[in-house]
Amino acid sequence: MTTVKIWAAAAASIATLAVATSALAQFNTDEAGLRARDKAAKDKVAAAVEADRKHPRVGGIWSGQLVATVKTVDGKLPPMNAAALKLYNQRVAARKRGDVKDDPVEFCLPPGTPRSLWSGEPVMIAQAPVKITFYHQYRHLIRHVFLDGPVKLDEPDPNWEGHSSGWWDGDTLKIETIGFNGEQWLDTAGLPQSPDMKVAEVIKLLDPNTLEDTVTITDPKFYATPWSTKVTYKRMPDNARMPEEECSEKLLEFPLKPYAPSDGGTGHGARGGN
Amino acid sequence: MRNVKINHLLSATGGLALAASALLTATAADAQPGRPAPYVSTGSDGRRDVRVAPTVPNISGTWLSRSSNRSALPLDGGPTPFLPWAQGYFDERAAAEKTGMPLFDTNASCLPSGVPRVLPVPYPLDIVQTPEFTIIAIEVMHSFRIIHMDNKEPPADYKPSYLGYSRGYWDGDTLVVTTTGMNGFTQVDEEGRPKSSGIKVIERIHKVGPDILENTYTIDDPNTYAHPWSSRARFQWDETARLNEYICEENNRNKPDASGKLRHGDGSRFIDRNQAKK
Repeated sequence: MTTVKIWAAAAASIATLAVATSALAQFNTDEAGLRARDKAAKDKVAAAVEADRKHPRVGGIWSGQLVATVKTVDGKLPPMNAAALKLYNQRVAARKRGDVKDDPVEFCLPPGTPRSLWSGEPVMIAQAPVKITFYHQYRHLIRHVFLDGPVKLDEPDPNWEGHSSGWWDGDTLKIETIGFNGEQWLDTAGLPQSPDMKVAEVIKLLDPNTLEDTVTITDPKFYATPWSTKVTYKRMPDNARMPEEECSEKLLEFPLKPYAPSDGGTGHGARGGN
Repeated sequence: MRNVKINHLLSATGGLALAASALLTATAADAQPGRPAPYVSTGSDGRRDVRVAPTVPNISGTWLSRSSNRSALPLDGGPTPFLPWAQGYFDERAAAEKTGMPLFDTNASCLPSGVPRVLPVPYPLDIVQTPEFTIIAIEVMHSFRIIHMDNKEPPADYKPSYLGYSRGYWDGDTLVVTTTGMNGFTQVDEEGRPKSSGIKVIERIHKVGPDILENTYTIDDPNTYAHPWSSRARFQWDETARLNEYICEENNRNKPDASGKLRHGDGSRFIDRNQAKK
């Protein structure tokens, strides 16, 4: 049985090679078709570039707000159902006792969307016509938002940041994110999420130096109704620094040592020379 | 258990075929300078800030390593010009690997591997150019390098970091990046060429074809090497590639013992605990 499978695998490999070779042959002959596709793609990009010249500049380095206990735009606790409230109360009580072992960020796991939005640390936004990229100082997390929204996933691969997709609606940048693993908390206090959570963001410039992100959470497993909260960012100078933060250093059970004798190392590596 | 083994075998042979077909395509493509451009050509204007001057070469977009290599081999084909302590470490590491108990390096604890080791890895890179910065996002450990395009020296109070402080400028069609300010905890490559915090890495990055990016980097570290030496990495444009979430901490299991050798165990208590609950 195993031998048969090995041969099947070998045959599959040869088939892959054959497909690659035939694709190559087609690549060389179907020039007209390729040029037509090329032109269509380039025209689409050119249109996006022209459109982006007119969009507000959300790109830049922004200082954020730390929100440890997220409230709705009306200043209330989000509309948690009984299951959510039970978890939330447990987590709040545990933190009061100094017990944080249920909070994923304590293990250097990523805060995910939306928790990274209110980490209080700077975020660099790179604005391009087909993609907006968020580079967070907090745990050097990155979110790539292709402007091909609304978000749709054929095969969601659940994770911490979720899968984001955006689009411009006039002067407003809209981003939808789904595909979460359901493990992260929405804030330090402990608002829960389920894998079905959907996060919708409406991002606009209030003035050239103030960015507002209105975040709407839809997660029927834990919240009776969709609810919204708001966070604002202030523009920092373009030469602002975003120091590297390595959370995982705190997970080390020994201090790192430099390699080189010129650095005080022993020449035996980052752990050697005990 | 048997199924697992078969799956490994399948993926190994499939991977071989993919690698072989990639090689075939690349070789054929290289041989045809006049071939039609891919249907979305490299350096798509859609992937960089519209305010970047059109005269600046466009390298924005997603790149796959074409030369993932655990060794930074000197371009001149000669031996690596180790100082004695560095040769000693390199040999010690090679000997430890042979015993199946590799020596610790920062990757084993989910910490970044520094410049230039972050580049030639089998995971994609994403480059975005803005007027002020060229930002290279690296899928592994979700690192990003901010290259300051004013080419100014790092501030005097710059705190040494894993990826260091990078500054750059365009010399014709070549992006010249100088990186200093790295801490002394990382290696030049996976194989075990060490470095000191005094290292200066100079990268010269330019396109050598419609969709190939070449990075020739020079290691200038008199604390570790007798003279500066260079190596090279190449990257292939891939418009459709997406960087995935890469969270090392989900499986942070390699922990060195008192002698600095790695052993397995402990690691991500959170994930283990949550999986046990389910």
